[in-house]
Amino acid sequence: MISEAHLPQILALFLFVVGMTIVLLRRNTIVLLMGIELMLNAANLSLVAFSRANGQLDGQVMVFFVITIAAAESAVGLSILVNLYRNFGSINTDRAKSLQG
Amino acid sequence: MVNIIYPMAALCLICAALAVVMLFSKDALTCAMSLLGVLLGTAGIYGMIGAHFVATVQLVVYAGAIMVLFIFSIMLLNLKKFGKDFHVLSPKFLLASLSALSLVGIGSWAIMQWSPTERAQWSNEAMLAAGGNTKVLAHSLFTQHGIAFEAVSIALIVALIGAVTLAKRKF
Repeated sequence: MISEAHLPQILALFLFVVGMTIVLLRRNTIVLLMGIELMLNAANLSLVAFSRANGQLDGQVMVFFVITIAAAESAVGLSILVNLYRNFGSINTDRAKSLQG
Repeated sequence: MVNIIYPMAALCLICAALAVVMLFSKDALTCAMSLLGVLLGTAGIYGMIGAHFVATVQLVVYAGAIMVLFIFSIMLLNLKKFGKDFHVLSPKFLLASLSALSLVGIGSWAIMQWSPTERAQWSNEAMLAAGGNTKVLAHSLFTQHGIAFEAVSIALIVALIGAVTLAKRKF
């Protein structure tokens, strides 16, 4: 029987898989960054739910750190995106293939 | 003790539906709004399972700061004119969605095999007696994880200076 400990884990799994699919399928770089945020959020949800189920607090402390790193990651990602737009006139990942051999 | 499983299931369903909207939507702003909904719903779930401080941080940092950054970038880059970047009915997209669904199915089965054991060092009652979630969490954060906290703050300031430098410089 599904309980209130299982429910957030299943949601976290679903959100992670959807975020991964977004990162793998979409070409729009800003949506891709949102997919990464979704995956980080799913990992956070799993950590908090496990910390609750085990009666420990370390998971919530980890989530605090992950949120900080996610803020830094999105700031750097969006500034890279602004540069990508300046150089290619588009934020589609198909256009940015200068490193392709 | 109130039974919270039904409101939690409702929030979970809303979050899952918004995530699917995010996957299939062609408009970047719709994606951003769905992501905002998912983040707010997740904050609600955090509150329901008793992680009040994390719920607040989620609201302020994720649903506040990061979403403003995203929406500001969408506005700055004028993303309306780019049009669609994928086809929903293409075989690649359908195949990927199917494999993602099967991954969710297998993972859910694995999660249902897990039965939570009560090792309640911090049960709800113990938490309340010690002064609530925020106080206990702050104590743990600034004593046991103090060095990691300082390291993360250094990482944050380095990343933000790097972001400003990256955005200012012409490549």
